[in-house]
Amino acid sequence: MYVVLAILFGQIDPVLRKPVPVWNPVDWNTIQFRYVLSHIFGEQGYFGPALVRTAVYVLVASTICLVISYPVAYYVARYAGRWQGLLLVVLIAPFWISYMMRMLAWINLLQNDGLVNEVLGFFNDAWRVDWLSGHATTVILGLAYGYVPYMILPLFAGLDRIPQSALEASRDLGASRFETFRRVTLRLSLPAMVTAVLLTCLPMLGDYFTTDLLAATPGTSMVGNLINNAVLTPGQTGQAAAFVLIVTVVSIVPMLAYVWVSRDREGVAT
Amino acid sequence: MAGNPDALGRDIVAGSPLRRRLRISRRSFLRGLSATIAVPATAQLLAACGDQLYTSGNLVLASPDHPVKWPLSTKVPMIEPGLTPEPGSTLKIYNYADYIGPGVIKAFTKLYDVKVTVSTFNDTDEALTKIASGAVDFDLHFPSYDQIGKMVAGDLLRPLTHEYITNIDNLWPQFKNPWYDQGWQYSVPYTVYNTGIGWRNDLIDFDVSALDNPYDVFWDPANRGKCAVIDDWHTTMSMVLLRNGIRDVNSGRVADLEVIRRDLKAMSEATDPRVTITMYNDLPAGQYSIAMMWGGDAVNAQYYLPKGVPAEVLSYWWAEDGLGLVDNDLMVLPAGGENPVAAHFFINHMLDAAMASRNFGYIGYQPPQNSISPESVVADGYMTEGLVAAAVRPDDFETSPRLLELDPVVDAEWHNIWQEYKASG
Amino acid sequence: MSSVLSRHATDAALDNDPALRVRKKRWRRPSVLALITLAYIAWSLLPVVIAVLFSFNSGRSRTEWTGFSLRWYFTDPERSVWHDPSMHTALIHTMRLGIIVTVITIPLGVLLALGLDRWRGRLPQGVSFLVLMSFVLPEVLLAVALLFVATTLNTPMQLGMVGQVLALVTFQLSYPVIIVRGRMLAIGPQYEQAAVDLGASRWGAVWRVLIPMLMPAIFASTVLVFADVIDNFVLVRYLSGDASTEPVSVKIYNTARAAPTPALNALATLVLIASLLVVTLGFVAYKWFSRGEKGVGVQSFAAEL
Repeated sequence: MYVVLAILFGQIDPVLRKPVPVWNPVDWNTIQFRYVLSHIFGEQGYFGPALVRTAVYVLVASTICLVISYPVAYYVARYAGRWQGLLLVVLIAPFWISYMMRMLAWINLLQNDGLVNEVLGFFNDAWRVDWLSGHATTVILGLAYGYVPYMILPLFAGLDRIPQSALEASRDLGASRFETFRRVTLRLSLPAMVTAVLLTCLPMLGDYFTTDLLAATPGTSMVGNLINNAVLTPGQTGQAAAFVLIVTVVSIVPMLAYVWVSRDREGVAT
Repeated sequence: MAGNPDALGRDIVAGSPLRRRLRISRRSFLRGLSATIAVPATAQLLAACGDQLYTSGNLVLASPDHPVKWPLSTKVPMIEPGLTPEPGSTLKIYNYADYIGPGVIKAFTKLYDVKVTVSTFNDTDEALTKIASGAVDFDLHFPSYDQIGKMVAGDLLRPLTHEYITNIDNLWPQFKNPWYDQGWQYSVPYTVYNTGIGWRNDLIDFDVSALDNPYDVFWDPANRGKCAVIDDWHTTMSMVLLRNGIRDVNSGRVADLEVIRRDLKAMSEATDPRVTITMYNDLPAGQYSIAMMWGGDAVNAQYYLPKGVPAEVLSYWWAEDGLGLVDNDLMVLPAGGENPVAAHFFINHMLDAAMASRNFGYIGYQPPQNSISPESVVADGYMTEGLVAAAVRPDDFETSPRLLELDPVVDAEWHNIWQEYKASG
Repeated sequence: MSSVLSRHATDAALDNDPALRVRKKRWRRPSVLALITLAYIAWSLLPVVIAVLFSFNSGRSRTEWTGFSLRWYFTDPERSVWHDPSMHTALIHTMRLGIIVTVITIPLGVLLALGLDRWRGRLPQGVSFLVLMSFVLPEVLLAVALLFVATTLNTPMQLGMVGQVLALVTFQLSYPVIIVRGRMLAIGPQYEQAAVDLGASRWGAVWRVLIPMLMPAIFASTVLVFADVIDNFVLVRYLSGDASTEPVSVKIYNTARAAPTPALNALATLVLIASLLVVTLGFVAYKWFSRGEKGVGVQSFAAEL
C-alpha cells in the first residue's frame, strides 16, 4: 500500500525531474519551462490558441452531454417504471464498450463513403461532408459521444434520490409541472449536475486521442495533443511536463472547490 | 554551467525576433529564478556574414560534404563471427507500421526457426526516446540516417560484424561506403525514397505537376479540407524551404527558420491539412485528394484502393530539379537487443535480392538493389505510369537535398517551431 | 435503493386508489422525453452495432457490406485475428492485464477502504482526497508522470508489463475504495459490534460478518475494474514497452490511424464480448451474494456502480 501511496504522491514529483538525454545539456529543461510559459500569452503565444480551443471544446462538449443526458436520466429515473431495469442496462452498456471501439465505430461511419454520408447523399449530394478532415464539429461530437455515459449515471443517481413526496408536495401547493421541475427537481439535482459535469469535463481536458483519430489537424489540437507530442520528442519532455503541470493545476482547483462545498452538505459525494 | 544571460544577449543582433523573445522571458523570469536557470553554456548565436546561426557544436554531424567514420563503441562490443541464431528465440523488430512485408518475415522464421515480433512507432523521435530510455530491448531498428550521430554518441548502437552480411554486394556501390557511416560500421541501408506530392487525379480537376510551383497547392485556400502533410517535423518543414527555393533544408539560419514559422502558419490558415503518416491508406480511400508523401507510400497506395477503382487515379510528382528530397532509411542494431546474432542474419536476409524485391512489392519502398532497375519499375509491375516519379535512381543522391542530422540547438529550434505549428494551427 | 422501492409502492397505490387517479394524471409520462431517451439509446449503441456487424464482412471494406463471413476472425490466413500474431498477442495481453490488475486491485482496495473507514485523522482524509483525484484527473497526467518515473529513475517501475500493472492499480484503486466504502457506510457498525458482543474476535468479526456483507460491493467493483482495465488506453500506451505489451486498445488506436481491415473490428468485438461476459458473471455473482435482501435487481447493481 505504501508503494501505491508513494506513486500517488509521485504524481507531482517526477514532473520536475526531467529525463536528461545524453546528447543534451544538463540544464535543458528550465529553458523549456520558461519557453512554454512565455509562449502561452502575448505576441509569441503559439500555445495560447490550443489552450483556448481545449476550453471551448470541453465546454461545448460538456454542454451537449448535459443537454442530452439530463432528459434521459430524468426520464429513466422518474417515468421508466418497469422498464427501468432494462433501460439502465442499456444506458450502462457504453461503459463496457471500449472507448477505442466506439471511436472506431464512428470512424467507419464518418468516412467519405461511410454510412453517414450515404444517408446525407441520399437526400442531397451536396450534403456530403468530409467529416474526418479536421472539423471542430466532428471532434466535439466525438468528445460528447465518448463521455456522455459518464454524465448520465451520476445524474440518474441524483435524480433517483429526489423523493416523490417532495414533488407531490410542490404540486399540492399549487405549482405547475414546470414550476415544480424548475423549483424542486432542478434545484435538488444541482449537486448531481455539478458532479456529473466534473466527471466529464476533467477527464476531457487530457484527451488527445479523440482529436487524433477524428481530425488530426493542427487546427483541432488540444492541450492533450501538446503533451502527447512533446513527451516523446527528445528535448521537449520539459515542455510536456510544463503542460502537465498547467492542466493539473487547472483541474485541481475545481476539485478542491467541489470538495470544499460538498463538505458542508454530506461529506464527499461519490 | 553558470549561464550568463548578458553574454547571451550581446551575441544577438539587435532587433531580431529571437532577441525579443529572449528578452521577454528574461524580464519575467530572471528575477526570481536567476540562480536556478542556466542557459546552455555552449549555446550561442554566431553572427557570420550577416547570417545569424543557431549552433552549439557539441555533436559530430555527418553530411555528404563531411563524411564521418564513427568510432567503434567501447561499451557495446561487436559479436563474434560464425555464430548461428538460437532456434526458438525471438527477434524483436522496431519499425513504422506497414513498413515490412509479413511474407518476408514468415520466410525468415521458416529458414531459421526464429520468431519475429514487430513493434511500431509513429515517428523516429518517439522511437529514439524509447530506445534511449533503456527500457526496451529491440534487436533491430529502422531509423533514418539523421539520428545515427546521436545514437552512436549515446552508445545506443551495436557495431555490425561484417562476416554475417554477405549480401552487401547486392546494393548500389555508393552504399558500401556511405558518407553518414563510412565503412558501414553501424548501419545497412533499407530503402531509398524521395518526397513529393501524391494526388487523386479523379478527385481534383488540375494537374499538380503542371503548376509553376507544385508545392503551392498546400497554400491555396481552394484546396482547404483536401490536403495532408507528413507528420514528420523535418520533412514537412523542409518542404516549406524548398517551396521558397531554399535548398539548404538543414539550415540553422535564423532567417530561414522564420520563413518556416511564417509559412507553416500561413499553410494552416489556408488549407489546414491533416498531419499524418497514413497517406498510403487515406489517399486511396479518398479521405483527402492531395498529400505530401513519401514516394514509397504513393506506390503502396495502389494496393489500398477500394475495389473497382483503377490504380491510374493515383498520380505522384517529385521535384527533379534539386528542390525535392531524397533519402534512405537504415537497419541498425540497438545496443539493448538480446538477439544480435539473429538480427545480423535478418539484415542479410533483407539484402537478399529475392527477399528485397518481395518486400518492395509489399511496402512500396524501393530497396537500393542492383537487381531492381529504376528504369523498368513500370514494366516490372511495381507501379503505374502515373507514379513513376517515385522510383529513385542512384544519381538522384548527387543532385537532391537530404535531411541531415542537426546540431542540437538547431534541432531544438526546429522542433519548437513544429510544436508551435501543431499546437496553434 | 429505498427510494426506488418507495416510489414503486406509491405508483401502485396510485393505480389502485380511484380517488388518486386525478393526481396520477398530473404525472403522465411525457412522450417527448421517451423519444429523447430512445433516440439517445440508438445514438449510443447503433454505431457500435454497425461496427460489430462489419467485423463479419466478407470484403476488405469497413463501409461496404459484401456478405457474411468469419474471414476476419479465423479463415483469412494472414490478416485474421486468429492468424495475425500481433492481433492475438494484443488480445492475450489485454486479458492478462485485466486479470492481474483486478486480482491485485480488489484486495488492496478493500483493505484501503477498511483502513480509511477505521482510521480517523488528517492522513486518511488526504488519502481519500487523492483517491478521488485519481478518479477525475485527466489520465494523461498520471500517465506522463509515470512515464517519467519509468524512463528516468531506476526503480522496479519499468516500461512494459510491470509499469502497466503498477499504473493501472494506482488508477483503478479508487473504484473499489469508493464503492466498498459507500457500502460500509450503508451497513453501519452495528452488525460487527453485535458479532463482537457475541464473542467473536475483532478480525473474526471483520472476516465472518463484514466481508460477506461487503461481497456484493466487492463483486460490483471487480466487474468495474476489469472492464475498465481492458478498456484502458492512455496509461497502457505510454507505459507499453514493445509489441508484446501492446493491448487491444493501443492496437486499435495504432491501426485505426494506419490501414485498418475488418479484422480490427473483429478484435474489438472480441474484447467487447469478454467484457460483457464478465459483467454478466459479475451480476450473477452479485445476485447470489445479495440473496436474502429484498428487491435486488439491475437497479441496485447499477446503483452500486
